[in-house]
Amino acid sequence: MAAESTQRLRRTMHLAYLRLRDFRNYGRLDADFEPGFHLLLGDNAQGKTNILEAIYLIATLRSFRGVGGAPMIRHGQKGYFVGAKIVSQGEHEVKMYWSAQERSLSLDGRPVQKLTDYLGVLRTVVFCTEDLQLVKGPARARRRFMDLLLSQTHSTYLPLLQRYTQALRARNALLRQPIVDPVALEGFSRELVRAGDEIIRLRRELVPRFSPLAQEAHHRISAGAEALRLEYQPSVKSDFTTELAQSAARERSYRSTVIGPHRDDLQLLLADRAAAQFGSEGQKRTLAIALKMAQADYVTGIHSAPPVLLIDDIMGELDAKRRAGFLPLLERAHQARGQVFMTATEANWPEDLAQESLGWRVERGTLVKQAGSSG
Amino acid sequence: MPVIPQPVTHLVAALAKLPGIGPRSAERIALYLVQAESGSVRQLADTILDARDRVRLCEICGALTEQSPCAICSDARRDASLVCLVERPVDILSIEKSGTFHGKYHVLGGKISPLDGVEPEDLNIAGLERRLKQEPIKEVVIALGTDVEGDATGFYLAKRLARDGLKITRIAHGIPAGSGLEYADEVTLSRALEGRREMAP
Ligand SMILES: Nc1ncnc2c1ncn2[C@@H]1O[C@H](COP(=O)(O)OP(=O)(O)O)[C@@H](O)[C@H]1O
Ligand SMILES: [Mg+2]
Ligand SMILES: [Zn+2]
Repeated sequence: MAAESTQRLRRTMHLAYLRLRDFRNYGRLDADFEPGFHLLLGDNAQGKTNILEAIYLIATLRSFRGVGGAPMIRHGQKGYFVGAKIVSQGEHEVKMYWSAQERSLSLDGRPVQKLTDYLGVLRTVVFCTEDLQLVKGPARARRRFMDLLLSQTHSTYLPLLQRYTQALRARNALLRQPIVDPVALEGFSRELVRAGDEIIRLRRELVPRFSPLAQEAHHRISAGAEALRLEYQPSVKSDFTTELAQSAARERSYRSTVIGPHRDDLQLLLADRAAAQFGSEGQKRTLAIALKMAQADYVTGIHSAPPVLLIDDIMGELDAKRRAGFLPLLERAHQARGQVFMTATEANWPEDLAQESLGWRVERGTLVKQAGSSG
Repeated sequence: MPVIPQPVTHLVAALAKLPGIGPRSAERIALYLVQAESGSVRQLADTILDARDRVRLCEICGALTEQSPCAICSDARRDASLVCLVERPVDILSIEKSGTFHGKYHVLGGKISPLDGVEPEDLNIAGLERRLKQEPIKEVVIALGTDVEGDATGFYLAKRLARDGLKITRIAHGIPAGSGLEYADEVTLSRALEGRREMAP
């Protein structure tokens, strides 16, 4: 292949093995994965999504199902263990254990002290049915999306967001007191504004950089049906300090901080109309997938390495035309020697996707490599 | 099922309440203690009691001391015009180790933490205000952690302590953002002290 020469210049990242103990319906799983396209086939409720959930957990320390640690512990067990080896510039070994009493996370044999030292070891982008919330859900879902994009591309973003959240919580606690000490309140307002201004600045920079990618992805999978526009809607219009002071009466009656980046939104417009209100179900679904495709492109662009793609059961939902628009993303991941994990049931696996893939069969909490899968 | 004797479970529960000791370590320590030679365990218990009985807080600055006022407060060679304001008694040790500070100290006993119900009146600010009247203090150096609460408390104090003839400074950044003094090494800490800046009143 002529891709050889470009390969040397490209960086890659892949999950080399996954080890699960008492995670969801897996009592014990040890699997080695090459770079490339992995197809996880199996009936419903066998444990396909659970594998993607574990991989996403390694990358973000969260479940994409939006749950905490407890539901991921296999029924009747005390705690789960997830281990992984990730190969990128170097090799990294991750081990995490979670139980009600005890949590531990280690990277290359050493306990992780700060999250910022850890996050970024594995980058993933997940495509799942919950993505529809990006379009249909409350502003919180879209803020989280902006936060995810920024924390995957700026190492300082997460600590900044944590600092803002601390200031916000402390300030709200002050506002709930019967008598609010104005000087103490001002102290926390300053911290809120300091972190908040920086968050607003980064989000404001993000949107125009991200928009073209979202438009392009959307154009591809909707066959150019409607024009997409993304608009950042900050809660603060021009000056945070001034507007915070002006909101004093309102925050007294709500007993919480009513303006700031925790009230931002990202408007999604199709042909200049709000997609959440005016879009059809199909349009919303297409838009959600386009946003995720753009996330993959954006993260790839910043790190010059494609993230590991986790695609949960969505191909069956798409008609042939939309699938065709989605394929270039997989094609590019393939060319860049990236890694893709895709789940499907036999019934909804589209025949036209039978490209080079490494096949796995998922059955009642076991994962078995398929003989005869091309590699 | 093996049965753990009740005194052991009581001991584990008591140890697990100590800072920095999780359930696992508590169990290890408890099992060690109940099997150790009884004389050495008695000695440990006596040492703990003795330390608790002899250590108190300095009535002037709030430092840990055997005798109140503490050695620093009673040291005439220390610069009485300079007071360093810290959050906890152990912070004094960190700053003393850096060897660059020759003034006196005042322990606040915490920082304003609305989420934990700590209000300004829960801190030893009134004690400092008293000292400002009685002692020839010309400068208060605020040396709190750089997390949200530390910074907000610093701002609060700068406003509340402001008066004629008093300079209020805060240690320079360089202390890792969002952390307390115990994470700063001696070199960082002495630079932070030397580079302290006056806070806008
Ligand atoms: N904590 C848990 N302990 C044991 N089994 C679980 C746990 N959580 C989910 N499961 C099981 O996992 C299966 C669902 O796995 P999932 O990966 O969502 O299936 P699918 O293959 O359809 O994607 C169900 O059989 C469910 O009972
Ligand atoms: Mg599933
Ligand atoms: Zn003293």
